[in-house]
This record gives sequence, structure tokens and C-alpha cells, in this order.
Amino acid sequence: MVTIVKDVICHRELLAMLVARNIKIRYKESVLGFLWTLLGPLLLIGIYALFLGIMRFSISMPLLVTGIFVWQYLAMTLGDSTNAIVGNANLIQKAAFPRVLLPLSIVLANLVNLLLSLIIVGIYLVFTNVSFGMPLWLCVAIVSQMALCIGLSLLLSAANVFFRDVQHVIGVLMMAWFFVTPVIYSPVMVLQTFSDPRLHQLFYLNPMTGLLALYRNALMGEAMPQANLWIPSLAVSWLMLAAGVVVFQKLQRSFADEL
Amino acid sequence: MSSVAIKVSGVSKRFRLRHSATKTIKSMIMDLLRHGGRTGGELWALQDIHFEVEAGRTLGIIGANGAGKSTLLALLAGTMTPTTGIIQTQGSISSLLELGAGFHPDLTGRENIFLAGAIMGLSRRKMKQRLDSIVEFADIGPFLDEPVKHYSSGMYVRLGFAVAVEVDPDILLVDEVLAVGDAAFQRKCLKKMASFRAMGKTMLIISHDLHAIQSVSDSILFLDHGQMKGHGAPSDIIGQYESFSRGQSGGDLRREWGTREVVLKGADFFDDNGNVTRSVASGGSVNIRIRYEVHTAVGPSVFGFGISDETGRLVHGSNTQIAGVDVGSLARSGSVVLRLPRLDLAAGNYFFSFSAHSADHRTNYHRLDNAFALGVDSEKRVDGVCVMPSEWRIEDSRGKEA
Repeated sequence: MVTIVKDVICHRELLAMLVARNIKIRYKESVLGFLWTLLGPLLLIGIYALFLGIMRFSISMPLLVTGIFVWQYLAMTLGDSTNAIVGNANLIQKAAFPRVLLPLSIVLANLVNLLLSLIIVGIYLVFTNVSFGMPLWLCVAIVSQMALCIGLSLLLSAANVFFRDVQHVIGVLMMAWFFVTPVIYSPVMVLQTFSDPRLHQLFYLNPMTGLLALYRNALMGEAMPQANLWIPSLAVSWLMLAAGVVVFQKLQRSFADEL
Repeated sequence: MSSVAIKVSGVSKRFRLRHSATKTIKSMIMDLLRHGGRTGGELWALQDIHFEVEAGRTLGIIGANGAGKSTLLALLAGTMTPTTGIIQTQGSISSLLELGAGFHPDLTGRENIFLAGAIMGLSRRKMKQRLDSIVEFADIGPFLDEPVKHYSSGMYVRLGFAVAVEVDPDILLVDEVLAVGDAAFQRKCLKKMASFRAMGKTMLIISHDLHAIQSVSDSILFLDHGQMKGHGAPSDIIGQYESFSRGQSGGDLRREWGTREVVLKGADFFDDNGNVTRSVASGGSVNIRIRYEVHTAVGPSVFGFGISDETGRLVHGSNTQIAGVDVGSLARSGSVVLRLPRLDLAAGNYFFSFSAHSADHRTNYHRLDNAFALGVDSEKRVDGVCVMPSEWRIEDSRGKEA
């Protein structure tokens, strides 16, 4: 863990360049370029708003907007991560540098997108007259979501070197994860439908559920769930980070052999 | 100064082989079911390698494809870890393993230069200072801010070389640079490497160009199938490698057939003093003793020979019958000696074929095609396979001798 942090600090300049490279490459030769960072989620929001409306499923727009933007950070990061090591096979085989920089640069490039989106979300929320909650929770939420993204990104990028199946299965798993996370519905609905507290606990073991609660409290003043629900949820994010670091450290020695 | 820059002790590298290049969960499950957990075989790409390179020295590494040369450089560069053994290096390492490998096609030349510099651990500020000399060496002036995917392959390689050299490492690893680019670029590379050497930097070079590697190396390491076959002075090891590869090549041209009443057991090449030899000077003589065993007594017989070049094309062929030598019937094992007083062949590797057959050419007892290699050396280079005496005369316009 300490060596990884040291490596990253020593190579911060390389990390910054890799982040810049990821951002540049994603939107190369597209007319709207960087605008797609916002347009993608906006179109998604439009589609969900339309269909949920047709199906007479009530959802508040601010809830949907925050949900989609926050979810997009996770989804985009993990989608890119499977390729972080495999897609840089040339670099891995030819140059010795901390491999952790590759998945990390993907998390950070997507973080830039999230921060820009949050500004737009913030402006939108001001116009909808929602009340903002604790700003501290926003920071905690962003940092914890980064921890979750780094952890999963390390796991996925390393696993994909050994089993290319990862890149195929990830899309389906993300879809399933999306539906068990209160992105397009309110968590209150779930808590009301099911009375068993063990089910509530299970629902909140999903780290994204806890993170969304923090985001929505900070951005739109939604009431926080009970502490025994959101604290374990947050802990899962950090556990993922620890697991990612441990697994990646163990596997990275044989990357060059396997690629 | 005689400090050791690279020390490799007892290094081996094992690769696990699989049936397919990419592992999938399905293939793993199938392997588990079939072999009870054993997935594929293993390959020792390197075995028990020992050597040291003193700071400021250049080590050349030679060997056939698959000998483990590139694996050795990857271990030194730190991209792979040895299965056993220890590698110690002093100072920063820059590797020219495959030029421009780290370049991203969609980034511009300038962006790639800075990225490559950062990968090798140089700050942006330091790279800025070197940008001009990199651009000059690579000769890509107007293309600096174009994506490298629009570069010609020559520009790509030049830029890769320029970046790797300009990061100013203590140790430079060079893999087959001399095989790419045009002649002008290769001269430039050799010049750069010479100046690198003059600056007291340590280099490890892989090349198939034996002439070039001999001229830049202080010592040479010869690898074959992952094992060290030799390590020492360039001329000694190059000689060893050349005679070794002569013995190896021709394997795919080798043919053998016949009724085996008479079997050719072997052929020994020796000079006029009776010393065994594997190479002769162009225009020189060679003697070949062909040993045979008679399994079933046969009637009047003929021995023949043929010389082919490396591609298997027959250069010359003859036999005892044509030469007017009567071998007679063969009842007991023995040998015949063939002397070629003047081997007027161009420099290169040649293969000898021998045959024993009946005098009426109906029955082929034994024939060994391209089974024996002989090197022909020459100072003079000529085109083609044979050397003809040639004389030139210069005349003026009236046809008089000038």
C-alpha cells in the first residue's frame, strides 16, 4: 500500500499526462468533443424521464438528474478499466513504470468529467429551488466514490489480463447493478415496500446506494438514511479499494508474461 | 573505472504455455477437466544465465530467433521478472525495445515525446530542453504537431530512437534497431551509439547484423534456446556462432532415401594436411571422405555428389562414372575420398549431397541430400554462386587500349 502511494507520488507527472491522454483520446475526431461528457447523461435522463412518465412511475427530476450523473462516473470508469492494462500491452511489455498508473489515470480522467457535470447539475438544481444540504457530504461522497472506482478498476483491469471474459460480462453486470441501485427510483420506496430490516441492510450494502444518499443529501437536501445503513455502505467502498490494491499488487508481476 | 553496471546471476525465465493465446474461463474449465489442473506446458526461455557488464562497456547479444535475446532485455528493463536468479543494475535504464512502442497513434509527435519522457522518468522541464535535439535527430520538423498515425514508418522509428537516446540513460538497451530504417538512418544510429559509447555509457545490443554488432561491442553473448553458448571477445564468439548456425541450417532441405543395400554413414571434410574443416577459402581445395556400409552385396556401383546453395539450388553435381573411376561391385564396408582441388564458389554456406547407386542408375541404394554444410569464405564479394576468372580492359573511343 505504502509503495503504491510512493510510486504514484514519484510519477505524478506521468499520471497527469496519462489522464490528459485519456481525455484527449476519448473525444478525438468527434464534432461535439468534450460536450459529450454532458450530452450522454442528458440524453439518458431524457429517455428515462419520458418512459418513466409514460409508465406513470412518479420520480422527481432532481433525483433522476443527480442519480444518472453519479452513476455515469462509475459506469464510464469501469467500462474503460477492462482495457486499462490489456489496451496498453505495448507499454507494459516495453517500459517499466508503476502499472497502477494506468487504471488510476482512467479513474481520474472520468473524475474530471464528474466534476464538470456536477457544476452543471448544481446550476440546474439552483433553478429547481431545491435546498442544498451538508456540503461536507459532497466531499465525502466524491472521495469515497473515487475509492470505490479505483478499487474496482484495479480489480477489473488486472482480472481482464488473465480472463478476457471480464470485458464481456461487465456490461451485463453493470445493468444488474444499475437496477438494484436507487438511480431512477427513490430508496424510500424500497424501504417502504419491504419491512424486513435485514433486507434494508442488504440494500445498503451496495456501496452506490450509500454514496447516492450522501450526494442527494448534499445536493438536494434529501434526508440521510439511518447511520447503521449508510456507514457500512460507505465502508464497502473503502474495502473495495483495499481489495483492489492487494489483488493488483499480487497480479502485476505477471502482466508482461500474460499479454 | 571498472564498476559493474549490470550483473546477472543464475537467471532463468519460465513461460507457461497455453493452447490459445488468450485464456477464457471456458478454456480454463476445459483444461481443468481434461488435465486435472495442468494447463498447457512450460517453456524455459532462459536458463541459468550469468554475466556481468562493466560500466561503459557494450555487450552484444546474438542468437537465432527464439533464443531468448528479447526476453533477456525485457528482464533487464524490468518489464518482466525472472523466475529464478538475480539481476542487479546500476543507474537509469532506457530501453529501445521496439522503437516507438509507447507511442499512441492519436497523439501528436510532441505529446508522444513528453509522454515517452515521463514513462522513462524525465520531468517535463528536462524534456523541453531536449525537444529540439530530438526533433532534429528524428528529422520530423513540420510533423511535430501532427498525430503520429500520419507519420511514415521511417519517421516513427526515427522518433522512437531519438527519444530513447535523448533521455540520456546510464544504460541503453537496444533491440534490433539496425534492422529497421534506411541506410542513412542506420548510419545515424551507429554514429549515435558510438558517441554514446564514447561518453562512457553502458549498452546492450541485440542484432542479427553480425558485422555491425562486432564493430560496436566490447564482448558478445551467444544464446541458443535460452542457454548461454558463449561469452567473450566479439571475433571469437561471432566465429563460433557462424559455424554453429552453419551446422543448424539446411535442416529443412535435408532429404534421405534409398533401398539401403548400401548406406552412407557420413562424410568428413578435411584439408590437404588432413585437418578437419567446416569452411574453406574460395578457390581453395577440400577433401571429403564418404564412409559407407554394405548391408547386402551389390553389383557395379557409382558414388555421386552435389553442391547446393542455401536455397537448395544445385550448383554442381557429378559422380564416379562421369569422372571415369570404376568403383566395381561393393561387398564390404569402406570409404571413398572425393577431392575438389578448386572450390570456385562465392562466399556463403553450401550443402553437400551424396549418393550411392547402381551403375545402370536403376537402383538408388542411399541418397543424402543437403546433409552436410560447408562454409566458403572470401574477401571479395561477387554476385551469384560461382567465381569465374574475369579480366577487364579499358579502351578509348577508337577501340585502342588506353
